[in-house]
Amino acid sequence: MTNLLPLIRNECTKIIKKKRFYVILLILLVLVPMFTYAQMRIAERSRDKFNSDWRLEVQQQITDNQNSLGSDRIPEEWKSYRRIFVQQLQFYLDHDVNPNEPSGVTFTREFLDNSVSLFIPLLIMAVASDLVSGERTTGTIKMLLTRPVKRWKVLFSKLVALLMFVSLIVLSVFVISYLISGLAFGYKGFSIPVFTGFQLSGDTVDMTTVHSVPQWKYLLMQGGLIWFVSVVVAVLAFMVSVLVRSTAASIVVMMAALIAGTILTNMAAAWTTAKYLFMVNLGLTGYLAGTPAPIEGMTLSFSMAVLGVWGIAAIIISFAVFTKRDILN
Amino acid sequence: MKDSKWTWRSVSLISIAATIILIVGFVSAVGDILNPQGEALSTALPQETAVPTAAAGDSMRILALGDSLAKGTGDNDGSGFVKRTLDGLSADGGSAELLGNMGINGLTTAGLQTKLKEEGVRYALRQANIILVSIGGNDLFRGSEILGNATEGQGAATPGPSPSAAAENQDAASSVHATGTIDGKNSALVTSTPKPGEDELTPESLLAALPDAAKRLGEILQTISEINPQAQIFYVGLYNPFGDIKDLLVPGNQAVTAWNNAAMDIINTHSNMTLVPTFDLFNRHLDKYLSGDHFHPNGDGYQRISERIIQAVR
Repeated sequence: MTNLLPLIRNECTKIIKKKRFYVILLILLVLVPMFTYAQMRIAERSRDKFNSDWRLEVQQQITDNQNSLGSDRIPEEWKSYRRIFVQQLQFYLDHDVNPNEPSGVTFTREFLDNSVSLFIPLLIMAVASDLVSGERTTGTIKMLLTRPVKRWKVLFSKLVALLMFVSLIVLSVFVISYLISGLAFGYKGFSIPVFTGFQLSGDTVDMTTVHSVPQWKYLLMQGGLIWFVSVVVAVLAFMVSVLVRSTAASIVVMMAALIAGTILTNMAAAWTTAKYLFMVNLGLTGYLAGTPAPIEGMTLSFSMAVLGVWGIAAIIISFAVFTKRDILN
Repeated sequence: MKDSKWTWRSVSLISIAATIILIVGFVSAVGDILNPQGEALSTALPQETAVPTAAAGDSMRILALGDSLAKGTGDNDGSGFVKRTLDGLSADGGSAELLGNMGINGLTTAGLQTKLKEEGVRYALRQANIILVSIGGNDLFRGSEILGNATEGQGAATPGPSPSAAAENQDAASSVHATGTIDGKNSALVTSTPKPGEDELTPESLLAALPDAAKRLGEILQTISEINPQAQIFYVGLYNPFGDIKDLLVPGNQAVTAWNNAAMDIINTHSNMTLVPTFDLFNRHLDKYLSGDHFHPNGDGYQRISERIIQAVR
């Protein structure tokens, strides 16, 4: 036990020295201003059209969605999505709460909702994918394993260091998007109420359990869900980096899986067994916001169970393989 | 070495703190989603606070309400009579702005009545001083179908505008178009997609829906003027889209005229309402001013309607 802490510290120093984390911060610093600017233009345009009267804007949004429901060419899944969307908008309107009140906090909330299934996992991969395979590419793995330290301790220290950086990445996504979007939209908005608890059953939304939550608490809950998703993605990428010899291959494998996930969520409604794949279940924040799950029958507990099983399996495989295999080359 | 000690400490402390916060968030999120506590939400509706704006200045704040005509279906550039009216009114320096277009394809008088109960629509109505209404076509030209829908809507009494009903109406509309254009003689007898409970478009069915629908129209106009007493309401009268089908020409004309007369009777009793007639605009010019679906006007048709409205507004 005594020699685990120095090992973890060593792994953390390696991650920092490799400057992967700075690259992630840099990516955020470049991309978030772009999203903020785009969002600002949208806000400006709607302000011009609706005289900054959000009620008219929301009502128009409801009407437009209702109109598109009439078209026979729109697939049934989209229609039920829009029906649910209309009912939620109606709920906001009936309770005189602006669902898109422009503020840095609202931007952060929406940005994170959109980035949970692809963008954040990609950032996580930047750190996770070369933890083990990187050592093999450079050959330093031999140095590491010839020390009088048990192999599982080496791997465990790497895993702990990875989980520490997962938390740091999730935190920095929140902080950076809040700080940058705040420049454009203002830093207020923590107490704006957000509705959550929409129970979806088919096309209809059960409003009896809907309750309002201040936006800061919503962000906290959202952060927790994103953290869970990130941990699972990190563990999976970690497993791939144990299994695969080169970092490039390990990144490609994970990336292909994630992108397949986003494609599947858009068209998997017919293939219901796809719901047992981890990449379809990454959008946990959707359950908070009340957006319909990509495949019928998915709930928060289901998605968490699927992600949990994948994550645990990944850890078991990583340790089993790493402690057993011969290090050649 | 000191430097690395410092970074290690800060990194480990921040990451442990972040992890704890995120786990707390995770637990509360899971708890919140799995056991949502419904709370008695105060339905703090935007009450009368919004009304005073209606008196300000002479700028025209236009709101459109109603069916596919209000929405502009059939117009290739999507403007409809609403945008064209707006353009016409603001062309010679007048200030006119569009607050919103609440037109929904396939909306009937019953559907509009439900919509008028929604706070969002009422709010928008209070902001306007010119309200353009187009409704009734779907009741009249789909008589029996709509009676079923209306009773259904009242029975369910859902607060939402029941988009599914709108979708059904759209279906019905397309099947009516189909029957109307296949063949003049058989249109009354053959339906391309027969549905349970759906009757064909016959001279009788055109007139059957009229009394009830006209009554609802009166209630609608009354409600609008109660919601916003200051606004001028312009009701767009009906035309006969089936004038080119021999069997439906005369009964269609009769039904539309009867409807327009009923509308006129209601509107004449209110000083803030105007009927904008369109019957003569389309009569005997259907091929020129109707779009490909033989039901909605095309761009030129909408242009003619909007000219009428502009004349009425000024």
